[in-house]
Amino acid sequence: MFMLKRSDRSGAGRRAVILAACLQVFAAGGVQAEDEGNFTVRGFGTLGAVRTTTDDVEFVRDLSQARGATDEWTAKTDSVLGLQADWQATPQWLVAVQAISRYDQHRSFNPQLAWAFVKYDPTPNLSLRAGRLGTEFFMMADSRWVGYSFLTVRPPGDYFWYLPFYSIHGGDVALTLPLGEGIVRGKAFYGLSRGSIPLGDEQWNIRNSPMAGGYLEYQSGHWQVRGSYANIRFEHDLPVATVMAKKGLTLSAADADYLRARGTRTHYYSFGVVYDRGPVQAQLMLNHIEQGSHALESSDAAYFLFGYRLADWTPYLGYSTVRSHRRGRSASAVVNYVMEDSHSDQDTVFAGVRWDFARNVALKAQWDGVRGSAASLFPYRRDDRANWDGRMNVFSMSLDFVF
Amino acid sequence: MIGRWLRFLLLTAFCLGSSVATAELVVVVNARSGVAAMTRNEVINIFFGRNRQFFNGTEVQPVDLVDANPQRAQFYRLLVGKDLSEINAYWSRQIFTGRMQAPPRVDSSEDVLKWVAARPGGIGFVELSRADARVRVVYELKP
Repeated sequence: MFMLKRSDRSGAGRRAVILAACLQVFAAGGVQAEDEGNFTVRGFGTLGAVRTTTDDVEFVRDLSQARGATDEWTAKTDSVLGLQADWQATPQWLVAVQAISRYDQHRSFNPQLAWAFVKYDPTPNLSLRAGRLGTEFFMMADSRWVGYSFLTVRPPGDYFWYLPFYSIHGGDVALTLPLGEGIVRGKAFYGLSRGSIPLGDEQWNIRNSPMAGGYLEYQSGHWQVRGSYANIRFEHDLPVATVMAKKGLTLSAADADYLRARGTRTHYYSFGVVYDRGPVQAQLMLNHIEQGSHALESSDAAYFLFGYRLADWTPYLGYSTVRSHRRGRSASAVVNYVMEDSHSDQDTVFAGVRWDFARNVALKAQWDGVRGSAASLFPYRRDDRANWDGRMNVFSMSLDFVF
Repeated sequence: MIGRWLRFLLLTAFCLGSSVATAELVVVVNARSGVAAMTRNEVINIFFGRNRQFFNGTEVQPVDLVDANPQRAQFYRLLVGKDLSEINAYWSRQIFTGRMQAPPRVDSSEDVLKWVAARPGGIGFVELSRADARVRVVYELKP
């Protein structure tokens, strides 16, 4: 996203070409996955609407979004359109390209080349990929924008807000082995991060930051259990000085050094269990994030989700929570201000229903009740610290489809 | 006495009902694949792309039916108790994360039999009455 946008800041040219090419292929091909050795184009999308009950903070889907929802309905937060072209050259070789348009860190819906990779399967149980790849820091993190593939309107925020990373330039390897009647699957990836994360009106450049990680998973019958680990070493500092300057505050050299992100490493640990049997779907996920920079607080988060399908309707109920850990007070007011900004301390109860009313189309409605402390600022944008009390309700509707 | 009659009636009604509404489906493999029987979990692992080879190392080549064929919905309902929307949601996750492609889909049982007979690792599902000498039945899904 960052690369494409920076190299093409002025003209819509390259973006338009990508989208036009995809659309043209789609229109001309009439493509369906009916045979091997062929070319397919498919897509997914969401039309979403969300509002909250406060304008003291802006509610975002994750920290990759520069602006969020307040107490007026907005379609920006959750709406997305993705197009993917797959060329299965031989049973072993696959080339895949995905373009996606969603509200991003630059407050635009400009299409981005989400991935472009080559996949090679030397044997049926070994898979190698190289190119621009989606990252799976947490279970289901790489399908976060494919709303049709999951039950809720969006992945639980308390768990996923802190994961603004979407892709790397690198490679991954996945190995699958039968064990009893179950399957063990392991995956490892390495690559350089892309893009930027918005901070105030500035951007935190995370480009070329090395990321590495992997997971081990066991799936048997109705159960799936996964443990994963990943880390990122930041190549660039947070734009704290610029953000503070706009607030009329000066960042001293000592403070800047204390809040340094460059060269620090953040670790992500997660554990997930999924139970999926007939009409029942249940998920339990836990994560721990260990931040290397003093500017960001380490945190623990979890969510539980339960859904039960009744014909075309699937009501669901969930709970999520996140707590970050204070590093103590600094002598510098500016440092304290920055550190407070990365604090999170809240619980969310959410309930909703998914209605599969037509083939490959689902309608969802959801309520989130966020109950947190007034100091819980990190998950949001544009916080009004004086008025925010940590509590709000979020109402969401979405129409999710694949084609 | 009454209990026995009732049981007979229920059984008859059940058989008539089921033969009209749904035929018995079976999972078939290529007759030369070396696979004699499979468990439910092994069938699930293959049709959901979790495992891509038989126990003897042969690469599996599953084939599915189009949504328009009612046997597709019946197969997944019997195998995992899921609606087609859930099956399609599952595959959309696999496809749009670049993990794997869904099995190719054909229109009819005859196409399934042709597919399975033509490939050593071929595996599909058809009505029991359609399974012939070209294929071997390795798992039965009772309605």
